[in-house]
Amino acid sequence: MNAMRKCFIGLALVVASLTSCQKEYKEPAPDHAFSVRFRPVVQETDNILEFGKTYTNFFNEPFEVRTFKFYVHDIKLINTENGYTFSVGKDEHFLVDAADTIGSRIDVKVPTATYNRISFKIGVDSVRNFSGAQTGALDPALGMFWTWNSGYIMAKLEGTSPVTGQPGDVFEYHIGGFKAPDNVVQQVSLPFPSPITLRKDAETEIIIAADVYRWFNGVHDIRLDTNPVVMSPGPLAKKVSENYANMFTVLHFISYL
Amino acid sequence: MTFRWTILLAAVLFTAGFLVNACKKSGAPAAPPTTPLTFTVPDGWPQPLYNFEGNPITKEGFELGKKLFYDGILSKDGNFPCASCHQQFAAFATFDHPLSHGFDNQFTLRNAPGLFNMVWLPAMHWDGGINHIEVQPLAPITAPNEMAEDIANVVKKLQQHPEYPNHFKAAFGDATVTSERMLKALTQFVGMMVSANSKYDKVKRGELSFTADEQKGYEIFQAKCASCHTEPLFTDNSYRNTGLPLDPVLKDYGRMRITGNSADSLKFKVPSLRNLYLTFPYGHDGRFYAVRDVLDHYSHGVQDGPTVDPLVKNKIPLSDADKFYLQYFLRTLTDSTFIADKRFGPPQ
Repeated sequence: MNAMRKCFIGLALVVASLTSCQKEYKEPAPDHAFSVRFRPVVQETDNILEFGKTYTNFFNEPFEVRTFKFYVHDIKLINTENGYTFSVGKDEHFLVDAADTIGSRIDVKVPTATYNRISFKIGVDSVRNFSGAQTGALDPALGMFWTWNSGYIMAKLEGTSPVTGQPGDVFEYHIGGFKAPDNVVQQVSLPFPSPITLRKDAETEIIIAADVYRWFNGVHDIRLDTNPVVMSPGPLAKKVSENYANMFTVLHFISYL
Repeated sequence: MTFRWTILLAAVLFTAGFLVNACKKSGAPAAPPTTPLTFTVPDGWPQPLYNFEGNPITKEGFELGKKLFYDGILSKDGNFPCASCHQQFAAFATFDHPLSHGFDNQFTLRNAPGLFNMVWLPAMHWDGGINHIEVQPLAPITAPNEMAEDIANVVKKLQQHPEYPNHFKAAFGDATVTSERMLKALTQFVGMMVSANSKYDKVKRGELSFTADEQKGYEIFQAKCASCHTEPLFTDNSYRNTGLPLDPVLKDYGRMRITGNSADSLKFKVPSLRNLYLTFPYGHDGRFYAVRDVLDHYSHGVQDGPTVDPLVKNKIPLSDADKFYLQYFLRTLTDSTFIADKRFGPPQ
């Protein structure tokens, strides 16, 4: 009798171990490969940014770009018709680098559904600015961390312009700051040209234009002759972030079977 | 009958064990075992702000941190390890230097502070610009007048080094060098530096007694200094302007550099007074060579200005006798066991 009870305990253990193998069932599963590709452009969405080529901003100031990077996090796919939102997660950060075709693409997994809008934040979640040593996209070796005043550079635009009056004609916009009132993290929400239904058997890529032209004007005037260098948190950095928050446009989708 | 049941039971348990194991991922070789180290909070002290959560201290991590701390490989030309400015015999300040020396015959901007009881600090640097102990080393490593390196290049040098990948494997389970692992190892080493064994501490623990002169000094200290240099860490970690005129060459406005707020102009972090006699010169730019000079500043030298702290604005009344007794007391803050502790000395 005693041995039989032991045997039942043993069986119970087997059943318990089998159940523990199963993953929790979630509906719908984020199993669809979805990519967000940022296309760096200047003024027109089909005018792709080339490093070293001279462009002109709103104030007729000529400029060349040599670095264009920004952080993205808290990506959400939204259907405003039925209220469904899928969140990729606030903790996952991506560094978009226009110098590098791979670095300009974000790969995530989302559930197959119909969506008509994407939202994300430009910058690094404030908590992650005082969380100590981190790796991956938040590795300080990527050159997006201020070592003397802890915090991430959330977006970077560097280049040259003859009007800056700086050594080597450089302009440098290192935009960061996570404390109120100068928190530069910007919420972006973009409607799709038309709703898209993701297909189970396909991979989908969304192409979003990121327009450097919008850094200089729109909300605030940031002229290269008067403000060629922004490299610390503060009201000026905040103004630049309020400009570039409007630099995005959803262009189209590509589906790969 | 019982025998047969036992066999069956054994078979059932074996199957159960097998199934449980089948859940685990296989293929990856087991990480080498590490030896945990314990961090002890001295009796009567507050809990540290950094508690090694997410960075458990191990002998292997600590030893790696020590090796990195004493190795010039973190600097551009190999000449400036952390230890070049943070010398154990000076409680990890730079002995006898107002400003330390960095890459290419340059001075640092500020006086190197001693390194001890770091895990109780809410922010590092005289201006509090560093908000987390783990990222502190990035500042000296990248400063052009200190170690003058690039973080990605340091990681590359360590990865290509004949020994370091093995140390990273021992500490973190595989040989990949990342800035995160490097910083966490350094934090394990520096974070373990606790200085709590001065005569003052022994008096507090009831092991020794102050002399009459030390006791008098302690009473003056409590009346005139302790509101900023709060026991037991001997700092309240606030930022204050103590009426030091701006150095026209350094043009260092302190805390304002971080906050951008003019109300923070010329404010600097209140330093701990522990190991005071080992860490001279004093002040953010090391302008005071002796403790007596600092005391004279508070009694006679304070220059008033818009951001000067109300506690020192009208100077601190200190008689010659007060200064005499104060110095007796302040000498009891020297921790001679800390500066002789082989755990923190150069790797053998």
